[in-house]
Amino acid sequence: MSELAVTGAEAAAPRPPLGADGSPPGAGRGLSALLPTPDLVSTKLLELRKRTGLMITVVLLTVGFPVLVLGIRLLLHAVDPSSFGPAGSPGLFSGLTNAMAEFGFIIAATVGATAGATDLSEGVFRQLVVTGRNRVALYLARIPAGLSILVPLAGAGFAVVCLVTSFAGLPEPTAARMNGVSVPMRLSEGQLESWLLTHPNQATQLAGLPLLASGGGSGAVAKLGPSSPAEQPAAVRKARAEVRKHIGTIYSTYTLAEVTQSNPAVNEMAKIGAWLELEVAIGFLAGLGLGSLTGQRTVSTISLIALQLIVTPILAANVIPYFINGQRLVVGLAMDQLRPIALGSANGGGGPRAALFGGRGALSIPPMPTWAMVAVIVGWMVVWSAVGAFRMARRDA
Amino acid sequence: MDLTTVAVVAATAPHRHFRFGLVLLGLLLVAAIVFLVTRIMRQREARQVRDEPRAAQPQAASPTADLAQRPRPSEPAPRRQVRSRSLAQGDWAVETHGLTKRFGANAAVNDVELFVPRGCAFGYLGPNGAGKTTLIRTLLGLTRADSGSMALLGIPVPADRGRALARVGAIVDEPRFFGHLSGRDNLRVFAAARGARAGDRIAPSLERVGLAGRADDKVRSYSMGMRQRLGVASCLLGDPQLLILDEPMNGLDPAGMSEMRAMIDNLVEEGRTVMLSSHLLDEVERTCDAVAIVDRGRIVRQGSIDQLLREAGAAAVRVECSDPGAAVRLLEEAHLADSVTVNGDVVGVTLRSGATREEIAAINRLLVSREISVYRLEEARASLENWFLSVTSRLGRTP
Repeated sequence: MSELAVTGAEAAAPRPPLGADGSPPGAGRGLSALLPTPDLVSTKLLELRKRTGLMITVVLLTVGFPVLVLGIRLLLHAVDPSSFGPAGSPGLFSGLTNAMAEFGFIIAATVGATAGATDLSEGVFRQLVVTGRNRVALYLARIPAGLSILVPLAGAGFAVVCLVTSFAGLPEPTAARMNGVSVPMRLSEGQLESWLLTHPNQATQLAGLPLLASGGGSGAVAKLGPSSPAEQPAAVRKARAEVRKHIGTIYSTYTLAEVTQSNPAVNEMAKIGAWLELEVAIGFLAGLGLGSLTGQRTVSTISLIALQLIVTPILAANVIPYFINGQRLVVGLAMDQLRPIALGSANGGGGPRAALFGGRGALSIPPMPTWAMVAVIVGWMVVWSAVGAFRMARRDA
Repeated sequence: MDLTTVAVVAATAPHRHFRFGLVLLGLLLVAAIVFLVTRIMRQREARQVRDEPRAAQPQAASPTADLAQRPRPSEPAPRRQVRSRSLAQGDWAVETHGLTKRFGANAAVNDVELFVPRGCAFGYLGPNGAGKTTLIRTLLGLTRADSGSMALLGIPVPADRGRALARVGAIVDEPRFFGHLSGRDNLRVFAAARGARAGDRIAPSLERVGLAGRADDKVRSYSMGMRQRLGVASCLLGDPQLLILDEPMNGLDPAGMSEMRAMIDNLVEEGRTVMLSSHLLDEVERTCDAVAIVDRGRIVRQGSIDQLLREAGAAAVRVECSDPGAAVRLLEEAHLADSVTVNGDVVGVTLRSGATREEIAAINRLLVSREISVYRLEEARASLENWFLSVTSRLGRTP
């Protein structure tokens, strides 16, 4: 006889005391009551995983998109190699990964908003609350559940890109092209300086580089050109002096040219993968918090898409007087600054050199200090989670 | 331009080409979204208030005396005995003192003193908008009370809400589930929230409510009755001592209602307490042993069904006999009744207040002794519905 089918004499038996079959849910005190159990996480994962339409969209945007693009490129290259280069080019790697980051944020925000709002919109929230389970624990269970879907899929999509780049890419170039000058690859800063000092003509040619020109003054650079044989030694001396003076800036430009003209190394790919996953995690947590705050999946998703596709690019491209620090609070700008250098565009500049992932700087606005960048990113994750949990704990069910 | 080029351009172009004018567009969009969100939230709040009762009315004389200590009716009743208990803490399944919950100026729950005895089916009866659901939501911690105190199974809530709810199963409003999940998966979700051994009770619960055969179908394909049964199954996951069911008969066909009644009866037989809210008077009368009648947020009466029916008015007897005219004369002369009327072949006898079954037997003896053949004699008690209408504001009267 099942435990529930109690009849007759059994019914008359005294019922077991409270907690006889284990601690009642939510009865714990302090932090332990706030922590979600593995069962809570796995059932939330089940609930999300069985949303077929959402899951198909997630898979398409995280894995399907790079597979489709690379598949087409591989086919085109196989059919007409002269018109279509290999699928594993640095430009395609960079473009695809940047696009995956945009899509990743958006789909993560959608999954987050779904996880945050559907309990409410489908009326299940109150039935979960009446179990006595701590509301914060119910909220926190959504985080590992959602991330356990998104992180592996984003990783799988990026792995496809890395594999194609590594095994169906261009042969490793031996020289980096800077302002029409071919410079050997894989030089350290000292080696680059030595090479430039022993190649004054190339050093002189590099005077056309915007960074060097702005750093040394256009007037000075103009005089470096070998206007006449008599003036040449002086020009060479001047060029060498300029190289010594601006070797840091030249090396930064050289590094950018190196990473954008060659397929990224494995360690660079690892950095990019970590950055991509961070972008996804931020999107998910922001979506979850906003979804829980508003109880509206659609509104939350559209808000975050607007933030990512409209507001962030505008703020990244324009300095608003007296609001520069407000602009920097937008997570997309901090993430742009953190963007690994291999994903940077050729005009990228500024930002903390080699800071964390070798960020390229937040586009057209002055970069923020590394600590501020980290604080904005961590702040977005923590604040949205806290807002969502607080709202869930306080709202009428 | 191939697809890869499009992807690259799509990923990088916005950063280069938007200008300051678009800042305003973005800000306008954000402002519109904030406005929309605020408006939706306000509409929801307004709808919630609208569903609650109108302005609170002065409370009528409300017997809040010890329900369990009231005398049982003298006649044998088919209902379960409402156990006699003292008011010691823990003896009531549900206990509230001065519980009040307001939505703006409206008091949805107004100074409610409710005592639900253990081990019975208890009806919380009131017209639509009387504050039944709000009381249940307040008891379960779904919304906060403005004042007053309450306890479930003797455990104060919300102070020790987790411990109290561990042995409470509840359905608030209609049972809601994830439509894209099967019934079994939905129960898994609730069992995970219940914790401990609740997962082991999924199969027995489904079996018990008769859903084992459809447990793996998606809930969106369930009928209303099946959802109600699944709701009860979800309540049973915690092996509850107290079940709180909000309008459990809603949307059920007669067969479904009968099944639900039987299920509630079984649950009570097992020693559990079932508190159900309803506006279906007949159902409460059939299902429950005791009842509280609520109107405009206030409890206007509470007690056992039989007790309330006795309060409702004098019992009546209908007699079919061979000589109605003679029967009327005899009964009037014998002073056995308050009034005697005749309607065709049927004599209607209204008994005096406080009359017992012995008076009915005396009527029968009197008629037979005078050689009047009695073909049929039946008790015709006042229905709970009539009395309910008389004590609530439904008829436009102050109770």
